[in-house]
Amino acid sequence: MIAPMESPLVLVGWDFRRTPISIRERLAFTPDSIREALAHITRQGVLSEGVIVSTCNRSEIYGVGATADVEEAVTEFIAGFHRLPKPDILGSRYGLSGPDAVRHLFRVAAGLESLVLGEDQILAQVREALRVASAAGATRSVLHRLFQQACAAGKRVRSETGVGKRATSIPGVALELARKVYEDIDKRSFLIVGAGDIAAIFYDLLIGRGARSIDVVNRSFDRAQALTSRGGTPRRWEELGSRLPHADVVVCATSSPQPLFGAAEASAALSARRGRPVLFLDLGVPRNIHESVSSVENAFLYAVDDLKEMAARNLADREKDIPKAEAILDEEIGDFLSWYGSLAVVPTVTSLRRRFERVREEEFDRQLSRFEHVSPEDREKIRLVAQSMVRSLLRHPTTALKDESDPVRRVERAEAIRHVFGLEDDAE
Amino acid sequence: MSAALIGIAALALYGAAEAFSIVSLRKGSEALSRWTTVLLVSGMVVHFAALQVRARKLHSVPYRDLSDSMSFFAWMIAVTYVFLFFRHRERSTGPFLIPLVILFQTISLATRPATLPARKELSGALFAFHVTMAILGYAALSLSFILALLYLVQNRQLRTRRTGLLFSRLPALDVLDRMEHTAVAVGVSALAVSLTLGMVWAQKNWGTVWDAKLGATLLVLIVYAVALFSGPLGLKGKKTAFVSIFGFSLVLFSYTVVNLFVSKGHVFR
Repeated sequence: MIAPMESPLVLVGWDFRRTPISIRERLAFTPDSIREALAHITRQGVLSEGVIVSTCNRSEIYGVGATADVEEAVTEFIAGFHRLPKPDILGSRYGLSGPDAVRHLFRVAAGLESLVLGEDQILAQVREALRVASAAGATRSVLHRLFQQACAAGKRVRSETGVGKRATSIPGVALELARKVYEDIDKRSFLIVGAGDIAAIFYDLLIGRGARSIDVVNRSFDRAQALTSRGGTPRRWEELGSRLPHADVVVCATSSPQPLFGAAEASAALSARRGRPVLFLDLGVPRNIHESVSSVENAFLYAVDDLKEMAARNLADREKDIPKAEAILDEEIGDFLSWYGSLAVVPTVTSLRRRFERVREEEFDRQLSRFEHVSPEDREKIRLVAQSMVRSLLRHPTTALKDESDPVRRVERAEAIRHVFGLEDDAE
Repeated sequence: MSAALIGIAALALYGAAEAFSIVSLRKGSEALSRWTTVLLVSGMVVHFAALQVRARKLHSVPYRDLSDSMSFFAWMIAVTYVFLFFRHRERSTGPFLIPLVILFQTISLATRPATLPARKELSGALFAFHVTMAILGYAALSLSFILALLYLVQNRQLRTRRTGLLFSRLPALDVLDRMEHTAVAVGVSALAVSLTLGMVWAQKNWGTVWDAKLGATLLVLIVYAVALFSGPLGLKGKKTAFVSIFGFSLVLFSYTVVNLFVSKGHVFR
C-alpha cells in the first residue's frame, strides 16, 4: 500500500496527555471559530483540505497539505489564530503524517485515545467535526473519506467489542444497576435525597434518559426547588419517610454525618410496596443509608465504594478488549490506505492502462470472431492499429495527471479518472 | 420422509439455535441473537412437519405414547418460548429455555417404539383438544419454572453485588418477572380449559368426572393462581418466584406419581 506522496496528509494536535488545561482551553474552538479558521487556513494555502476536531480533551487539525513543511505552517497558523506565542504551544504539540495520522484519527474515533477508554461522545464529536468542515467547504475527497471511514470504524469497535460497553463512571454504573432492576427507567419513580453536586449530576442523567417521576428531598427546600427546574418535584425534608414507598430507585447524596434511615424504614417502605424491589444507591460519604438495609427482602443497597469497584472492574473489562478493537482498526485503516494509495498517479495510470488493454483485447476477440475471412496477416495489422489507438487515447490523460503540479488537484484528477473509468475496485 | 428423520432435523436446528444463543449471550451480539430466533423458528416449523407426518399415520394428534407426547410437549415449549420472545422482545433467556425443547425432543426420539400405539378409545376432537391444551399448559409452566429460577439468580446477584458477565447479560428483574407472569398466565389458562374438557369427556365416557388427576390439576391451578394474582394479594418479586417453583414441583408430581400410580386414565399403557 502506497500513500500518495503527492498529497501529504497531516495532523497537528494538542491533547490532555501532553498539554496542560491552561493551554488546551486557549486552543479550543467553537463551531464558528472552526469555520473561520478553516476558511483562513485554506485561503492562505497552508492546507487544501482541513477538519478541526475540538473537544475539552483535544484540539486537532487534520489536513491535506498544500505546501512543504505543513506541520510548521499549521502550528504557526494556530498560534496566530489563537493569539498565543508559538513557543508556548510548540512543546506539547504532536505532529503526524501519512498512515500515522490516519491511525491516530481512527484511534480517536474508536475512543482508544480518550481520557475514559471507549467513551461514546468522541465518535459524535468526530462526526460533527466532519459535518462542520464539509458545510464550510473545507473538505474534499481525501478528508471526507478519511473521516467517514474513521467514524464507521469507531462504530464497529463499539458494536463488536466490549471497549465501549459497561459504564465506567459512578453515575453510569448506578444507572446500569437501576436498569437491571427496572428495564424501563424512564417510567420509574426516583427519589433523590440531597441537592448538591452529586445529586445534580444524577438528576441531569435521569432527565437526559427521559425519567419523569423524580422527587428531590433536601434540607433546604429552596435548593430542591432550584434543582428540579427541568422536571420533577421538590419535596420538604419531612416528606422523606412518606416518599420512600413510592420510589423504585432511591439515591442518597447528602453530607449527613448520620445515616438518614435504616432497615426499619426500608422494611416499612417495602411492605407498603408489597415487595416490589427498590434499588438504594448511597453516594454519600459518610454513608447516608445504614448497611442493615441490605438485609431487607427485595431491597438492593449499593454504596459509593461498591459502585467505584464496579466501575473499575468495567474499565478493566474494556481494557481487555483493546487488542480486538485494534484488529478492527487495522482492517479499516488498511481499507482506507489502500484506497488512498490508489489515488497516487502511478497506480492510477497502471490501472487505467490495464483497463484499456483489457477492453482492447476483449473487443478485438469479439469483433474478429465475426469475420472469418480475415487473413492472419490482416489480423496482426488490425491488432497493431488497435494498440496504437489505445496508446494515443491514454497519452493525454496520463500527461495531464503526471504534469499537474498542485498535489491536491492531482489527487482529485486521479480520483476523477478512477471514478469515470470504474477503477475504484482496482486498488492494489 | 419418516417423522423420526424430520424430528432429528428439528433437533439439529434446536441445537444450532442453542449454540448461537450461548455465543450471543457471551458476546452480547445482536446479529447472532437474530440468528438464534431464525434457527429456533425454523426448528419449530420442521418439528411441526414431523408432528404432521406422525398425525397422518396415527389419524389423530400425536399423544398416544410417551415418545409422541414428549415430542408434542417439546414443540409446545418451543411455541410458547417464541411467543414469550415476541411478547417481551427479550432474547437473553434463550440459552436457559431452549435446552428444555432439546431435552424433551431427545427423550422422544430415544424412546420411539417400533410399533404404532393402538388405543382407539382415546380419540375424538374433544379428547384431542383436552390433551393439546394440557400439553400447552405444562409447556408454559415449565418455562415459567426456568424463568423463576433466573429471577432468583438475578435477584441473588444484585443482593450479593456480584455483577459479572451473567449479571450484565440477563434481563432486568422486572422483565423476568413479567415473562414469568405471561408464562404462568398461558399455562393456567390452558390447564383450566383442558381440565374442563377433560371433565366433560370423563362424564361422557366413564360416567364420572372424578379422577385423581383432576384433584392434582386443581391443586396445581390454585398454586399458580396465587403466583399469577399475587400482586394484588401481596406477593411480589422473590416470593412469586418461590410459588412458581413450588407449583412446578406439583406439576412434576402430578405428571409422574399421579399419572403412574393413582390416576386410572392418565397413564401410557
